[in-house]
Amino acid sequence: MNDSDSRLHALDAVRGFALLLGVAFHASLSFMPGWPPGIWSIVDNSPSQFLSDAGFVSHIFRMSLFFFIAGFFGRLLFHKLGARGFWSNRAKRILVPLIVGWVILLPAIFFVWNMGMTKMFGGTPPAPPQPPPGWFPLTHLWFLYELLLLYVAVIALRALVVHFDGAQKLRNLIDALVVNSIRMRIAVFTLGIPVAGALMTLPFWFYWQGIPTPDSSLIPQVPATVGFGTAFIFGWLVNRSTTALDAITRGWFVHLALGIVATGWLLHTMHATPMAQPGLTKTLFALVFGVAVWGWVLGLTGAALRFLSNYSATRRYIADASYWIYLAHLPVVAALAVWVGRWPLHWGIKYPFILVMSFAVLFLSYHFLVRPTFIGKLLNGRKYPRRQPPQGPATPSAPTTPIAPIGSGPVAQLRSITKKFGTTTALTGVDIELRPGELLALLGPNGAGKTTAINLWLGLIEADAGEVTLLGGSPLDIERRRGLGVMMQDVEMYKELRVRELITLSSSYYTQPLAVDETLRRAGITALADRPYGKLSGGQKRQAQFAVAICGRPRVLFLDEPTVGLDIQAREALWTNVRQLLAEGCSIVLTTHYLEEAEALATRVAVLAKGRVIASGSVQEMRALVARRQINCETTLSVEQVRGWAGVTDATRDRTRLNIIAADAEAVVRRLLTEDPALRRLEVREAGLAEAFAELTKEAA
Amino acid sequence: MNALALNTLEADARLLTPRRALAAYLTEIRFEFMRLLRNPALAAPVVLVPLALYLLFAVVIWGDAVAKDPGTAIFFFSAFSVMAVTMPALFSISASLAMEREMGLMRLKRAQPAPPGSWLVAKIVCGVAFCLLSYLPMLAAAIWAGTLPLDAGQIVSMSLALMVGCIPFCALGLMMGALVKGSAAPGYANLIYLPGCYLSGMFFPLKESMYWQAPLWPQFYVNQLAMQAAGITKPYFIPLQMAIGALLGFTVLFSAVAIWRLARKG
Repeated sequence: MNDSDSRLHALDAVRGFALLLGVAFHASLSFMPGWPPGIWSIVDNSPSQFLSDAGFVSHIFRMSLFFFIAGFFGRLLFHKLGARGFWSNRAKRILVPLIVGWVILLPAIFFVWNMGMTKMFGGTPPAPPQPPPGWFPLTHLWFLYELLLLYVAVIALRALVVHFDGAQKLRNLIDALVVNSIRMRIAVFTLGIPVAGALMTLPFWFYWQGIPTPDSSLIPQVPATVGFGTAFIFGWLVNRSTTALDAITRGWFVHLALGIVATGWLLHTMHATPMAQPGLTKTLFALVFGVAVWGWVLGLTGAALRFLSNYSATRRYIADASYWIYLAHLPVVAALAVWVGRWPLHWGIKYPFILVMSFAVLFLSYHFLVRPTFIGKLLNGRKYPRRQPPQGPATPSAPTTPIAPIGSGPVAQLRSITKKFGTTTALTGVDIELRPGELLALLGPNGAGKTTAINLWLGLIEADAGEVTLLGGSPLDIERRRGLGVMMQDVEMYKELRVRELITLSSSYYTQPLAVDETLRRAGITALADRPYGKLSGGQKRQAQFAVAICGRPRVLFLDEPTVGLDIQAREALWTNVRQLLAEGCSIVLTTHYLEEAEALATRVAVLAKGRVIASGSVQEMRALVARRQINCETTLSVEQVRGWAGVTDATRDRTRLNIIAADAEAVVRRLLTEDPALRRLEVREAGLAEAFAELTKEAA
Repeated sequence: MNALALNTLEADARLLTPRRALAAYLTEIRFEFMRLLRNPALAAPVVLVPLALYLLFAVVIWGDAVAKDPGTAIFFFSAFSVMAVTMPALFSISASLAMEREMGLMRLKRAQPAPPGSWLVAKIVCGVAFCLLSYLPMLAAAIWAGTLPLDAGQIVSMSLALMVGCIPFCALGLMMGALVKGSAAPGYANLIYLPGCYLSGMFFPLKESMYWQAPLWPQFYVNQLAMQAAGITKPYFIPLQMAIGALLGFTVLFSAVAIWRLARKG
C-alpha cells in the first residue's frame, strides 16, 4: 500500500519542512548583499554573504519539493473523494485561503514595505517605479494560484489519458518508467532536463533566483510552470505506483549526495558570475541546477521516509501548523526585518532574532487563533479543542473521546506498557485495568514498578510503548485529570502554608470541589486545619496529603503507599475513609507493602515484580492461592497417580521426594497414607499471603 | 439519559469555567504572596542590600560628585535600581522553584489538574511585587537624600521601565530553578548574575574594547531602558526598540527553556 499512514506522516513532515523553510528564506532577504531597496521591505545595515548562499540553496528545492508532495497528495485525494469531492475540498483549502489571504495580506505587505522605505530614506521614499503592463502582485500566495492551475491541467490531462488509453498500456509504461528511473538513480538527471531547457531560454537570468518566482502576474510563466509542473506531475505519478516510494526511500543517500555536490558546484560558479551570460556556462548551470533540484527533492523525501515515518505528536503539530504559518508569515517577517533593520548589531544576532520572534508569533497565533477555530477547520480539515493534545494515528479524524461514563468499561488502563529509564526497564508489557467502583491493590517489592505505573496514569511520564488511558482518554488531557485525586510518595507541600490553605489551593484546581471544612472533616483533620504544614508530624502530613487528594471529589483516586508512617489509629481512620469513598462509587488504585491493607480493602490485587505483573485476581482468588498447601513426602506413588486425585492442584517429584500442591490438604494426606503405608517423612506446610507473594516475586527474579 | 448525553455532560462538567480559572490563578498568586510574607528571612537581605549599597556609594562615598553632576547621579540611581529590581526576581524565584522541584511539589501540581500557567503567573507576579518591595525604599531614599535630579514624570516612566525590566529576570529565575538542584540554585544564579552586573557596564563605564560583550547581558538592556525612560542617552545608547526587543527575546528564551524542562522533568 503506498498510502499507508506511516508514509503519509513522513510526507506531511516534508511538506511542513518545505513551508517552514520558506519562512527562514524570507527572513534572510533583508540581509542580501547588494540588493537595491524595494525588492525586500528593507536593506539591513549588516549584509551577509552566508545568508545569501543559504537562501540560494534553500530556494533551489523548497518549492519543487512542495509541488512534488502536493502532486502526490493531489492524486491521493482525487481517488479518495472523487472528482466532485476533490474540487469542493480544494476550493475550501486552496481557493478560499488564496482569495481571503490575498485581500488581507496585500495591504499589510504594502504597509510594511512603506514603513521600510520610509525608514531607509528618512521620511521621503522615492516614488515606486511604474509597474509593467499585466503586473499583478500575487505575493507569496502565488503558489496557491499555481497549484490550482496545475490541478486543472493535470486532471484534464488525466481525463484524456483515461479516454484514449483504455488498455492501460500507456499507464503501465509510465509506471515502469517512474519506478525504474528512480531505482537506477537517473530520475535525478532526467527530471531536471525540462526545467533546464526553460531556464536556458531566459534572456535575463540571475543565477541566484533559480526558477524565477511567478509572483507578479496572473499569466503563467514558462520556467515556473515547467519546473513546478514537472514536480507536481512526478508526485502524482509516484502516488500511482506501488513501489516508487520504496525506491525513493532506498535512494535517499545517493540522491541527497548528488544534490549537495551539484549545489556546491552551483555556488562556486555563481560566485564567479552572478548573472547568466549566453554560452556554455549558462547551459551547464541550468542542467546542474536541474540535478540539484531533484537531488534535494528525492533525497529529502527519501530521508524523511527512512527516518521520520513513525508518528510523532510534535511533528504532527508542526506539520499542521506549517500551512497557516506559511500563509501568514510574510508581513510578520518583513515587519521584523524593518524593525531591526537599523540596529547596530551583527546579522548573526539579528537574523536569529527575526526567526525566533516570527515563529513565536506565528505558532502562538496558530495555537490560539487557528487550531481551535473555524480557520483551522478550513485550512487543515479539522479543529482541535484547546488544551487537547492531538489524537494518535489510530483515530486521525475521530472526535474527542468523551470521558467514560460511570459503569462502563475500565476507568483507567495500562495496555502492553513498556517503560525504560535509561538502561533500566521499569515496566515490561504490563496490562492493568481499574474497573469502576473497585479498589485495585498493587503489591510488590521496592523497585517493582508500582510508582512508575501510577506516574503513567498521572500523566507525569509517557510510556515508551503501549497505551495509557484515564477516564477514557489520555492522562495528558487536563480535563481527564480533573477527575483524579492523588497522594504521592516523597512529596512535601509548602511548609509555610496552613493545612486549610493547602486544601483551598488544591480545591481551586477542580470544577466541583468539596467545601474545605467538609474535606477537613472527612479526612479527620479538622483539628489540624490552622497548623502550618511544616509543623506537622510525619503521620499528620500524610493525613493532610490525603485531604488534598480527596478535595476535588475524584472519580479515580491514586494512593501511593498512603499509610506509611501512620500509627494504628490513623491507619484505621484512613481505611474507613477509603471504604466510604468506594461506597460512593470512587475507583481507587492503592500501592502498598502491607498485605493486610490489601486484604482489608482491595477488590482486586495485582502483584508486580521486576516490572511485570506476575499475578492478579480478586481477593478470593488470592485467598485461594494462599489456601493451597504444600505436602512433601517420600513415597513410591508416581506423579501421574497423584495428579488425578481430588483436591490435588499439582504434583512434582524431585529425586526421592514428591511435592504436592493441594487445595484440600487433609483429604489428600488421608489418601496418601492409605495408598502407601510405607510413606515417610511427611510434611505439610501452609503459606501465608506474605509467603505466597515472596515466593511469587522470587520466581520472577 | 442516553450514553452520549451523559458523556457530553460529563465532559462539560470538567471544563474549568473562565471564572473558576481566574479564581484558580488568583488563589495561586494569593498563597504565593503569603509564603513570601511568612518567610521574612528570605526577603530581608534582598530588599536591604541594594538600598544599603546605594546609600553607601551614591550618598556617602561619592556624594560630592553626585551633587555636582546630574548625569552621574542618574547613572548611580539607575545602576542600583536595576540591581534592586533584578536581584529579588532572579534569586527568590530560582531558589523557591528549585526547592519546590526537590520537594516533589512540581510533580504533584502537574498530576493534580493545576492550570498549566497558574504557578508560572503566580511566580512572575510575586517576583514583580518583590522587586517593587525592594525598589520603592531605594526610590524613597534617593528622593529624600536629593540624589535623583528628575521630575515626577521621568521618575514614573523610569520606574515603569524598571518594572518591565525585571520580567526577563523572573524568566531567568524560572530557568535556573528548573535546571538546577535546590541548594545549588543561589550559587548558580550568582554565577550568572554577578558578572553581568559588572560586564554590562552598569556599575562603571566600560573600556571601548569591552563594548562588544555588553549586549550579551540582560542587565545592559534593563539599564539602557531605564536610562532612556529617564531621558538620558549617554553613555553608550542603543535604540529604545532594541532594548525592548532584546528583553522580550531574553524572556521568551528563558521561559521557553524553563517550560520545556519542567514539562519533561517536573
